[in-house]
Amino acid sequence: MDQQRKHSILMVSDFFYPNFGGVESHIYYLSQCLLKLGHKTEPDLNAFAFKIGLVVVMTHSYGKRTGVRYVTNGLKVYYVPWRAFLMQNTLPTFYLTLPIIRTILIRERISIVHGHQAFSTLCHEALMHARTMGYKVVFTDHSLYGFADVGSIHMNKVLQFTLADISQAICVSHTSKENTVLRSGITPNRVFVVPNAVDTAMFTPSTCRLSCDEIVIVVISRLVYRKGADLLVEVIPEVCHLFSNKFHVKLCLLIASSVKVRFIVGGDGPKRVRLEEMREKHSLQDRVEMLGAVPHARVRSVLISGHIFLNSSLTEAFCIAILEAASCGLLTVLPDDMIVLSEPDPGDMVHAIRKAIVMLPSIDPYAMHQRMKKLYSWHDVAKRTEIVYDRALQSSDENLLRRLPRYLKCGSWAGKMFCLVMIVNFLLWCLLDSWQPVESIEEVPDLVFIRNENEDVVHDSI
Amino acid sequence: MSEAPIFHSKYSYHHDGKAQQLDIHEILVKRSRLGIFLSYFMVVVFLGTNVYFVTTKVFCILILTFFEVNIRSIWSILVCFLLAKFLHYNPVKKERVVIMPAFGVQLETHYWSGRIVRLFVPISKILSSMLNECVTPVTCYWSLALLLRDEGELMLVFQLIRFVQKLQPPLKMLVPVWKALRAAINCEETSIT
Repeated sequence: MDQQRKHSILMVSDFFYPNFGGVESHIYYLSQCLLKLGHKTEPDLNAFAFKIGLVVVMTHSYGKRTGVRYVTNGLKVYYVPWRAFLMQNTLPTFYLTLPIIRTILIRERISIVHGHQAFSTLCHEALMHARTMGYKVVFTDHSLYGFADVGSIHMNKVLQFTLADISQAICVSHTSKENTVLRSGITPNRVFVVPNAVDTAMFTPSTCRLSCDEIVIVVISRLVYRKGADLLVEVIPEVCHLFSNKFHVKLCLLIASSVKVRFIVGGDGPKRVRLEEMREKHSLQDRVEMLGAVPHARVRSVLISGHIFLNSSLTEAFCIAILEAASCGLLTVLPDDMIVLSEPDPGDMVHAIRKAIVMLPSIDPYAMHQRMKKLYSWHDVAKRTEIVYDRALQSSDENLLRRLPRYLKCGSWAGKMFCLVMIVNFLLWCLLDSWQPVESIEEVPDLVFIRNENEDVVHDSI
Repeated sequence: MSEAPIFHSKYSYHHDGKAQQLDIHEILVKRSRLGIFLSYFMVVVFLGTNVYFVTTKVFCILILTFFEVNIRSIWSILVCFLLAKFLHYNPVKKERVVIMPAFGVQLETHYWSGRIVRLFVPISKILSSMLNECVTPVTCYWSLALLLRDEGELMLVFQLIRFVQKLQPPLKMLVPVWKALRAAINCEETSIT
């Protein structure tokens, strides 16, 4: 078999470790699986034209965590010392990030730049500079956004600018693809759908099955409007009243129900105050437990203390939290026998919870966990992402004059402004090229990590 | 044993491993003639501006004019001073690392003016030497540092930043020095154990 070319990927986002979240874990797990794919030794007849040789992550600094760090399996992370100014986003400066991004792209011999999350300013700037310098770019959108409010209009315009000249885009669900295509105007055939996955090795069911005398419903989410915190305020008292440990005969169900229901609410946010007020008003202190912000490492221990996972989000591009709960064996949202769906209406949600409680005895947590393992796997996500990279690398190289008309389509005034921004960026890049030529930037030597019996030893090829 | 010299646009590396059991590594910094000319020119401008403001405006008694003179003169002086310093000729002629096996490491900085600054580090105080990748808001570069016992901070082998002057030797010049330091430190650890 011919020697495969090795390519290097640069993942860029404002959101990475030590923050924990959907985007952060997506970048981390995807990078780890891409690294493992790149080091496969057995020949693969279905392999693509290239192999992943190196994956590097670029993000902004977090407090004192600045500079170069290596995480698991030698994943290199650049914590560039640009301060976050709003909601973990780097201050948008348009052109000031050009020198550092150019230096990183050259010294790491990057082939593809992969940006994550539409809300990340560092991602947009990196993709803009990468396109100016002729690199192939891929963008992954993780969230749904609206169209009506001022913030969304502004964000959609920025997204339109970034995606006007992108090689390929990835969305985490078909709904997310529709949303991204409508917001940015990108042609749908350049958008791939690659769903997220869950680390099933970390989220396993409890070894001992919980008793069904008292049903515990777990809610873990940010307590904000978009995650349906207002719905919870109405649903929780209703459910607690219906299942309050009284001998209760329902004519419609023809069963005698003596179950008691308890809630565990993990997470923090502006709506927490409303939930606390609800607890006080209905005297539910012994039946609703508020945990506050739950560190990601403790999420599993909270999940396995419950029978049912309740997610009340109004919109979700792809809900990893539900996968984590299902992987732990909780009854949630998934194939028909693992899910109970309802409308975002308190009455409907209460009915759905009642239905879930009836279904509960027939649920086998380990069977659910095994199904999740097969359905959602990060290795599968990495292989599908490789297909997208392959497609991106096959796209043709184009100079500035051929790329500018794509920006003109963004709007009558916006289009011209975007063109001006790209022309200035190109001129600055030429100036930087003459002041600091490519030859003066040293390439980083390859580092090979050798795992000893007792410890990891870095053996460099210098 | 000496290695072949390594040349770069701004630096050159020389190694002398034969001199009386000492291991000497030198990195010479090249001088830029354009930088020297511009720095002298800016010093002249700076002095001229200063003299002008001092001689023509110092006797002015009006508060408003005095305030205006202060702001303008301070601004001009500041700009000229910064430009002169920024383009100032390279004061460092060479950086030298002398490794004395089983004894210590001497770090020397030779200036064009003839001044030499020396710093000796006993071998027992050095835990390890390392090549660091340093990231700034605009660039990345390599630096060679020593990890010392009972010290909270790393000691840079080559003083990289001197006010606005940046010494950033390329990695290929730092690697032989790093390897020699590691060999000396490992020899010392072996002899102790």
